[in-house]
Amino acid sequence: MYLTKEQEAMLSGEKGETMAKCIQLTVKIGEIYDAKNLIPIKSAQIAGVSYYTVGDAIFSFFKLLSEGNVKVRVPSWLNPAGMDTEKWKEMCIDADFADKQFQIIQKYRSIGVETTLTCTPYLIGHKPSYGDHLAWSESSAVTMANSFFGARTNREGGPSSLAAAIVGYTANYGMHLTINRQPTILVNVKADITSLSDFSALGYWYGENYQSKIPYFTKISGLDVDHAKMLSSAMASSGSVPLFHIQGLTPEANNIDLAEVDEKVSFTNDDLKQIYEHFNQSIKNPELVAIGCPHASFDDIKTINKLLKNRNLLDEVEFWIFSSRKVANEEKAKSIVLNLESKGIRVYTDTCMVVSPAVRNRFNNILTNSAKAAFYLIKGEKTNVNFLSLEEIMELVTN
Amino acid sequence: MRNVSIRAIVEGQVEGQAIVSLTPISFLGGVNPKTGVITDPENILYGKSISNKIFVFPEGIGSTVGSYVIYGLKINGVAPLAMVANQAETIVIAGAILANIPFVDHPDVDITKVIVSGDNIKIDTINKIIKIKRD
Repeated sequence: MYLTKEQEAMLSGEKGETMAKCIQLTVKIGEIYDAKNLIPIKSAQIAGVSYYTVGDAIFSFFKLLSEGNVKVRVPSWLNPAGMDTEKWKEMCIDADFADKQFQIIQKYRSIGVETTLTCTPYLIGHKPSYGDHLAWSESSAVTMANSFFGARTNREGGPSSLAAAIVGYTANYGMHLTINRQPTILVNVKADITSLSDFSALGYWYGENYQSKIPYFTKISGLDVDHAKMLSSAMASSGSVPLFHIQGLTPEANNIDLAEVDEKVSFTNDDLKQIYEHFNQSIKNPELVAIGCPHASFDDIKTINKLLKNRNLLDEVEFWIFSSRKVANEEKAKSIVLNLESKGIRVYTDTCMVVSPAVRNRFNNILTNSAKAAFYLIKGEKTNVNFLSLEEIMELVTN
Repeated sequence: MRNVSIRAIVEGQVEGQAIVSLTPISFLGGVNPKTGVITDPENILYGKSISNKIFVFPEGIGSTVGSYVIYGLKINGVAPLAMVANQAETIVIAGAILANIPFVDHPDVDITKVIVSGDNIKIDTINKIIKIKRD
């Protein structure tokens, strides 16, 4: 692999052992995938934040970082933590967990990472630009960055995105190269998809059937950033799809060479129905509604408020919306959040149903409009999940 | 004795006893970073320790946080002597580099079929081979 003089110096330990380790990691991964060189990145999205998922293993790694006295060299943001950093007691998180969680967040802050604690950096002003090279490690955000924004990032892991942030470079392979961004599956979307959960179902169906292959979807009308994030997150969890194209909509769709497509498939109303049925565990007594996977936007919160109208939440049901602190604290969101909370709907930030122990430890019967959330929650031994549209959920849990 | 050619990812000359997982390994949730014991009940090695042995497995899977688990094994003094996989992927590569644990992949045969737990094996990343000795 070709390295610049600066990169050679980093690798040889001139900038310290920690820096050498970080660039060694970047270079080795590049070598495995036949990268010719390293490329500068514009930003990094770093996973590996929730104490629930990283456990104590991360602290030994932090020691290495402290010894090296390193800082990130590009704008870097954090994935969600295991709890709301203000309302953790209300979520029934114990003090030991909170203490560990705060230590992790503080450590990332100390090396210059902005503690955004969201999987949707693009909803809080960190939108990547067309052609930007990134090292993002939240799988749903990776697919959004590549597909919706036309930026370029591989599905980095937590450690590799952090190393890239410290080094300022990532290896030039995979999604960074135009040749790898061509679709190989053409999907004729025949089903009537309208709601957020329909887009989530389409993504789930695609990822489950075609793993990491890049799809080209024929015309899907009315796709906005929120639909795209549902589609992205689902196909990046049932499969490992890093990029999709939609005819006439996504930024690279016009540069596509459809000659490389080697399979043409259809997504029908029957396929859509089957995905809903797959997660339909016919819960009679839902305990929790969990919305916000990926994190809810201002529009998502507004929609829930609108659907609620003058109705009230059933006493026996908890209703949690997960969002980013920045979105929930925005001036325009404040009165809506207050109204929702007055009706018993809780808006939690910094965390979500997938990475917080508060959900799986306390609730066995969960309703969600996200196929990604359903996919992960159902892995809990006692957890039953129903995957429904927001409209259906609101009908079920209000009167 | 049998020789298998390999690709070196993290260099090292190591000799030791092999412990073989027949199925892909998720370090997060699958290995206890404090003890080196396999905690995945679905794994054939459930309850056994990979500490101070040469850990052989087809490939790494699961959360990328698994890299931190590998690093934790090293810090806690219970790391494997070396690791051998059929195919390296970013989780194990990152963990092996951070922890400086010799790691090789791309054997010319399915490595989980030619090495059995208990075999004495020698990894030589200079000559890019593994020597398998069976008593």
